[in-house]
Amino acid sequence: MSGGVDSSTAAALLLADGFDVVGVTLKLTNATGTAASLGGRCCGPRDIEDARVTAAGLGFPHYVLDETAAFKEAVIDDFVAEHAAGRTPNPCVRCNEKLKFGPLIRFAHAVGATRLATGHYARLDASQGPLRLRRAVDLSKDQSYFLFGVPRELFEEVVFPLGDRTKDEVRDVARRFQLANAEKPDSQQLCFVPEGDHMSFVEERGGGGRSGEVVDEAGQVLSTHTGTHRFTIGQRKGLPVVDGQKKFVVRIEASTGRVVVGPRESTGRRHLRVSDVRWTAGEMPREWPLRCHVQIRHHSAAAAAHVAAPEQGGCQVELDAPAFGVAPGQAAVFYDDDCVVGGGWIEAD
Amino acid sequence: MIYLDHNATTPVKPEVAALMSRALSELPGNPSSVHAAGRLARDAIERARAAIARSVGALPEEIVFVSSGTDGDNQAVRGLAAGAAARGRKHIISSRVEHPAVRESVQWLANAGHPVTWLPVSKDGHIDPATLAGALRDDTGLVTLSLANHEIGNVYPVAELAALARAGGALVHTDAVQALGKVPVSFRELGVDAGTFSAHKVGGPKGVAAVFIRRGLDLPPLLAGGHQERERHPGTENVPGIVGFSSAVVDAVARQSSEANRLLALRLTLEDRIRAIPGARLNGASDPLCRVAGTTSVSFAGAPGQLVVIALDLEGICVSTGAACTSGSLQPSPVLRALGFSDAEAAEGVRMSLGWTTRAEDIDALTDVLPKIVARVRTATRTDLHAMGSENLLSAQRGIA
Repeated sequence: MSGGVDSSTAAALLLADGFDVVGVTLKLTNATGTAASLGGRCCGPRDIEDARVTAAGLGFPHYVLDETAAFKEAVIDDFVAEHAAGRTPNPCVRCNEKLKFGPLIRFAHAVGATRLATGHYARLDASQGPLRLRRAVDLSKDQSYFLFGVPRELFEEVVFPLGDRTKDEVRDVARRFQLANAEKPDSQQLCFVPEGDHMSFVEERGGGGRSGEVVDEAGQVLSTHTGTHRFTIGQRKGLPVVDGQKKFVVRIEASTGRVVVGPRESTGRRHLRVSDVRWTAGEMPREWPLRCHVQIRHHSAAAAAHVAAPEQGGCQVELDAPAFGVAPGQAAVFYDDDCVVGGGWIEAD
Repeated sequence: MIYLDHNATTPVKPEVAALMSRALSELPGNPSSVHAAGRLARDAIERARAAIARSVGALPEEIVFVSSGTDGDNQAVRGLAAGAAARGRKHIISSRVEHPAVRESVQWLANAGHPVTWLPVSKDGHIDPATLAGALRDDTGLVTLSLANHEIGNVYPVAELAALARAGGALVHTDAVQALGKVPVSFRELGVDAGTFSAHKVGGPKGVAAVFIRRGLDLPPLLAGGHQERERHPGTENVPGIVGFSSAVVDAVARQSSEANRLLALRLTLEDRIRAIPGARLNGASDPLCRVAGTTSVSFAGAPGQLVVIALDLEGICVSTGAACTSGSLQPSPVLRALGFSDAEAAEGVRMSLGWTTRAEDIDALTDVLPKIVARVRTATRTDLHAMGSENLLSAQRGIA
């Protein structure tokens, strides 16, 4: 339970269905004295208090597990190192993959629970035989992209009570149960970055990239910048406008500190290399290349593509049409219709 | 509900609650007021002070009411340290097994420039007086050591330690919060300059405690704003709390010896049964008589203490991992770390603390489920969730069902 309306409502729904519910919140950061302690972000101290209040109100026990050390190692250190390397990390995917579900399932086993429920918007569907991770009914809230890396075996014990509801329905349920956080705004920021300032957070932890030149694709110097970690592929903010033309980040060269910019067309990519691929659906596909849709960011539509047979754990992806903002460090998730087939991490060309 | 967490707090004894209830309705006055209502309230707290003083080997004027053990520890430690520093003695000696209220107070002083020596303890939690003798310096102003440990229950030879310290010219404070009612406590006989004890550990209410401060010593207030407690603790007195405190202390001290015998028998039964669980290790003094009667600290190898505590809670049994202040987080216990355990081992501690409500049936209820729960937590903990196939996972689940 993050303290937000989603996991609280998931708990309330299970309770209403007659389940014996035990609440648990992972404490992931020490945010005392920062803006995060005022709440509005998942898993801050104030949010832990919200979860506790919800559980007490609904009448089931609630516990806090401190995973601060593991979270730092698995998520924060990675986040900083990826920024330092000129990549665009996705800490939420990393957290689900490496951290969240492991301790929670372990906790469930320890207390004798038969299932782990979370407030994620995604569906686990066993109606067609093997368990499949599917997009949520509410596509605007769908979180299947974030979940592709969770070890498949763990899903056998997981339920997502919100997967077939819309956010509006969830808020209605929350109001019906008179949950204190029924009107709490959705968390928008990374839970571990105080004051929402990613750049200082990264810099304070040694993840600041080199400062250097902003150059066009011909190597012409257009301006300078204060650190490569401030950029992501396809970014426009903070870049000069040349001859009335908007410029976008095409490439980040962490080793030289150069940020290469160009017109939007130049950021398009049809080919990408994806590493550390896992097959969320269980078995590896049998027919290659795999015809599927590939999603390259949380907020982007999946695009038709062919995925080549894996070599050394990585796959080449060929998109039918160029995609913009393909950023090394983000996840590329493969979908068959609304089912997650698998996915991996986008690498630099 | 089976309650085996008396070191965190004790249920209020019925006769204490009855007295407090009467005080709430019959003593409406402010003890500082000049009128009859005020005089009645003042009279009640002065009678309570006298009764408490008699029970702990002190004079009434040596008892200062405060709001909690933490409050008292802070005030005594900081106050004595300031007094000693004014005489050129800034060095402070404490130990690695103190309650956070003392540890953090001393740390606060260290941050303010006081040199501090943290005495080490042996593997079974013992403080060797020779270690203290070796740590005393010409400028040692304060020695603060607890009388009984909150997690492992060890009783420390404070009389002997205090004699050493005072011979070296240092002031001595002892946190007696976990000792009162469990071992004989006479501040006069201990020879300390200050001591802290709290109502809610002896069958009294939460929110009231006391500092013993030897006559003639200054105890500067931490707060500004009133003249209560002879200028030593401003703020309107917690009249019903103090009335209940007094009743609880008198009763706990009167019954201390017989209650210790009763609890020791229960605890020895408990510890015999715990020893029968594979991989169980009892922490603290190996001689059970060197610990307070009601405290057992045990580590089950490979089972995080927090998970054991939660699993027991879901069975209706209340125990804890250590100081209640650290519960809700899986921080390794500093006390167990001081005993030489690794971080992982120090996170395996489970504390069961018996008290006035404890009966043999409570021990039975705990030990009936404990082996099963320890086994389940161990299986869950060692399962490598990221490396196993679903078949293994399902069989692991069956194994722990």
